[in-house]
Formats: sequence, C-alpha cells, structure tokens
Amino acid sequence: MGGDDPGLTSGTPSGVPRRPAFRSGPYWLALQVVLSGSLILLFLLPIVALFTYAPLSRIFEEWQNADVRAALALTLYASGVAVFAAIVLGIPLGYLLARRSFPGRSVLESFVALPVVIPHLMVGLGLFLLVLPGSFLYHVTQALGAPVYDTVWGVVLVMTFVSAPYTVLASMLAFRAVDERTVEAARSLGARPADAFLTVTLPMASRGIVAGLLLTWARAVSEIGGILILAQVVYPGGIYNGPVTTTLSVYIYNLFNQGDLADAAAVSSLFLLVAFAVFILVRLAERWGWLPWRRGELAP
Amino acid sequence: MTHWHVEGLEADLDHFHLGPVNLDLAPGKAVAVLGPSGAGKTTLLRTLAGFLPTRRGRIARDGVDIAEWPPESRGLGYVPQGLGLFPHRTVERNVRFPLEMHERPDATVRTRELLERFHLTELARRYPRRLSGGEQQRVAIARAMAADPDLLVWDEPWQALDVTARYELGLVLHDLRVAEKVPVVVVTHDPGLAFSVADTFLVLRSGRVRGQYTAPELLTHPPDAFLARFVGFDNVLERPALDADGSELGRWLRARAGPEGIAFPAPPPGPVSGEGTTWEGRLRRARPDPTGLVLEVTAGELMLTLRRPPPWSTPWPQVGDVVRFRLAEATLQPLGGTPRGPGAAG
Repeated sequence: MGGDDPGLTSGTPSGVPRRPAFRSGPYWLALQVVLSGSLILLFLLPIVALFTYAPLSRIFEEWQNADVRAALALTLYASGVAVFAAIVLGIPLGYLLARRSFPGRSVLESFVALPVVIPHLMVGLGLFLLVLPGSFLYHVTQALGAPVYDTVWGVVLVMTFVSAPYTVLASMLAFRAVDERTVEAARSLGARPADAFLTVTLPMASRGIVAGLLLTWARAVSEIGGILILAQVVYPGGIYNGPVTTTLSVYIYNLFNQGDLADAAAVSSLFLLVAFAVFILVRLAERWGWLPWRRGELAP
Repeated sequence: MTHWHVEGLEADLDHFHLGPVNLDLAPGKAVAVLGPSGAGKTTLLRTLAGFLPTRRGRIARDGVDIAEWPPESRGLGYVPQGLGLFPHRTVERNVRFPLEMHERPDATVRTRELLERFHLTELARRYPRRLSGGEQQRVAIARAMAADPDLLVWDEPWQALDVTARYELGLVLHDLRVAEKVPVVVVTHDPGLAFSVADTFLVLRSGRVRGQYTAPELLTHPPDAFLARFVGFDNVLERPALDADGSELGRWLRARAGPEGIAFPAPPPGPVSGEGTTWEGRLRRARPDPTGLVLEVTAGELMLTLRRPPPWSTPWPQVGDVVRFRLAEATLQPLGGTPRGPGAAG
C-alpha cells in the first residue's frame, strides 16, 4: 500500500483541499473479493455443472417422463403434507416457547433444534427402530391404517422430523419480535386471547413464519438419508394413490448408482427449476404485497 | 357515566411490590401519575388494565369489583407506551378494531365519525408507519374512544412528540375529559402537559404512594426533590450536597431546609440594596431563554441558578464574574417532612 493517498494530498486547482473520499486499501478489497468470490463459485459451479452436463433439451424430455413426474408429484405432495404438519404443530410450539415461561423452557428450546444437528441417516434409523414390527407404535400405525414402511407416511414422517424445527425456531423468533404491548392494546380494546392471537400476533409474526416455512419446505424436499431407510420405495396406500415410485431425491440417487449421469443431471436440473420457481414466487409475493404494510421495506 | 374507586390496590411484579394505592376517579376527573423511573407507574397502569394480577384490594367500577376480570371485559381504554398501534392494519382498520371485537352493527358509521372527529379521514388508508408521531397519537385516541371506554389509561402519551403535537394532544385529551366526562389516568414525565390535562397528581416512589396533590399544592409545597424539579423549581438542593457545603450561604440554607433539602425559584441577580443578606457567587455559564438570561453560579460548593429578566441585549456577565443576589425567605420551600394531600395513603 505504498504511495500517498491521492484523496488526502491532492487539491482542487484553486488550492482548496478536497474532502478525501472514503476508500479502503486495494489489497484489503482484493482479499474480500477473493474470499467471498471463492465461496460464491463453490455455490454456483455445481449448479452450472448440473445444467450443462446434458443438453438442455434433456430437461424437457425428463419432464415428459412419467416416472420422473410420479417422483416429482410424490415429493411435492409429501413435502406439502410435511409443511402442513409444521404449520399445525410447529407454530403452536414456537408460540409456546416464545410467550410462555415455564421451568425447562431453555432446555426444550435446545431440544427442538436437535433434529437439525442429527445426521439424517440416524434419524431414519431411529424412526425405523421405533416402528419395528412388533413394537407398540407398529401396532398403533397399523391400527390407524397408516403403516410407515415404504409408504407416503414414512416419507412424511422423516420429512416432518428433519424440517419442522425450522418452522418452530423461525416462528418462535417471529413471535418474540411482536411487541407485547401491541397485543395488550388489542386485549384492552376487547379482544379475547384467541382473537388477539389471530388478529394481531399472528399477522405481525407472519413474515418470519413464512420464511421459516420456506426453509422447512426446502429441507423436506431435499431429504434423502432418512427416506432411504424408512421408505426407499413408496407404494400406494393411505393418502397416496399414485403409482409405485420414490421421492425425487431417491430417484436421482438411483440413477447415479446405475451410472446414468446424464439423466441424473437432467432430473436434478428439472427439480432445481421447480425449487427456484417456488422461492421466486414467495419472494415476489412478499415484495408485491401479501404483507402490504411492509411494502417498500425490502426496497434498497 | 362511570365512577371508579381503586381501594388498597396492591400488585407484585417479580421482586417489585406496588401499593397500596387508593384513587377516586369521578366522571371527568384526570389523574397524572408521577414519579421517577422504576416508581411503579407502568405497573399501576397495567394492573388497572388487567395485565398484572391484583394481589390485594379492589378496582370498583360503579361499585362492582372488576379486579379479577380479564382485560377485554374491563371497559377501559389502555394505551400502552409506544401506543400499540397495529402495524398491519390501516388507520381505518385500527380505529375499527374495537368495534369489530364488540361486534357492533354500526361499526362502519362509527368508524367514519371517529376518523372525522380526529381529522384522520384523509389518512384512513395509510399504515401507521407512514404517519407522523402526532398523527399516530390521534389514531391511538380515536381507537381507544371507539371502544367507548369508561376510563382512559395512557402510558407516556407524549413520548417522542414534537412541541406542536404535544400541545395538540393536550388539547384533545382535555376536550375529551370535559366533553365526554371520561376519567383519565396518564403517566407522564412532562410537567407542562400533566398540568394542562390533570387535576390530581398521584406521586409514586419505589412502588409506594408518596401522596396525592392538586396543582397548587404541588407548586407551593413540592414534597420532595424529584417533584420540585418536576414542577420546575430552578434550584433544588438535596440534603447530602447541602450538608457538605461549609459556606455561610450553605449554613443559612440548611437552617431553612426540610429533611430532604430545599427548593426555590431563580432569584434575580444584583446589584442589591435594602434588607436581607446579599450573597455572592461566580458565573459559570450564562444562557438565554424566553424568560430572560439564565445564570448558573457557583457559591461555595453549591450550584445555583439565577434569572435576569429581558432585555437580552444588555451586556452579559462574563464567566468568572462575581454575581450578587438575595434570597427572599418567602420563596424558599423546605423539602420532605409529612406528605400533604387527601389521598396520602400509607
């Protein structure tokens, strides 16, 4: 960094020194660019590889393939059910953790985050052992008409286990960010506790909750480890009436194992397009108005 | 018209104990709750509104004890610190909220009336974050009034408002009290507006009631240093500092001070002739204000404020100059001693 900083020494022609512009040293900037750039490349290049390995027309062909469609449909369906379960079960837990104080709350809070850090193959193994034929839960699931092995229930179970924590944690943070005094104002204006929750707390927390649901969905559709153990193949039954198939993650994994790299890459690309579309839709909805009172907040 | 009686009210929040508090709120009466930070002002309001359990005592609305009732049934408009406007609802839907909650069939008409009355019609479709502080206050008032409250309870209404908005809000609250006869309880740090709105002043300190006063009582006999400063005495000398001073002026003041100290308005600077002792101090700082030139003077260890009436154009004394002044005995207020006033509960 030799040499004088021109901003400090040079003057305007009249001799009045110019205010130096704020600049960081070029090496410092270069270091930042190189380090951040490396990581961005690491994110980007595999995706580029997926899209370029097979000709783009292959993606369209996969879209026509009934097997791929069945796997995609199952994946979207099961992940949808998992997100629904996260909404029904996870948001109340997030609220409980955010707004109630009870002994052991911080322990419970850490415990909820546990599924995030458990390797997913072990999640599958744990669930497998839990519903081992002859076990209590095995009989319960059979009696309910919802057997778990190689059914859509197994897929939903694994997906919910690994993904619901994101909803719980995100909604907990979102509920905590809602000013309690606003809720008290609502109560004092005549709202019963449930009214205040539905008309004030939930709408105010909705942005954080939706962000959590998006993560939940992303985590659910990308799950493979647990599914390989519990429901590698999915037979029709229960809430699923489609053909015998697998989740898309397992489908791609099978293609890869068979050495069919071109198809694996093309199906992956197809799935990436679907996932991108979902993310972009949610982002656009956020930007253009499902939360009108936040409009403009995201603008730079 | 509703008459409220708060009798021996006590509440606990963690390790903080509030009370007992006695309050008589006749229709149209307004009470300002005063006290330093941590005195229990907000705790009192939240207990009245039903967000903290009552440990002992009664909150009687026309003779019916509502101390155990849930907040939504108390018929009391509580405006929390920061107003608690709903950020996700437009101005119109904020004002409409209580009418919806009470399933009032005339909600639309009543909302329109309130918007008009508080000059909010133009802003009806805006969201609160797009409003100025004063406009947000008007929304809060309109919304509180939509519920037809029998008592308005407001925590720090003037927080973060500019001078004009404060003045306007003071007028609005005053008019409400006069026109609607709704009793009002406000917590505030602003003496000017406390005096413009309230007729009774409940003073809290460390959760206990220090006393209840009228404005003249508070102005002529401020019960302690906090209140003396609150009502605007220029010179408030508290005991430890006063006792530490060895000068003759210190001795003279000590002889006239109460257990907590002494307060007096700013005397004019000399030259002085006539009766009484003339004191001397050195100028530390001079600053102009609408009432004249304010002179901050050190006399011995004591810091005193003097006030020279206008015009401001007369040459200002310089820092370090000797300034002479005289203290009229009639202006000296001893601080502390037995609290005065009717509601001085123990």
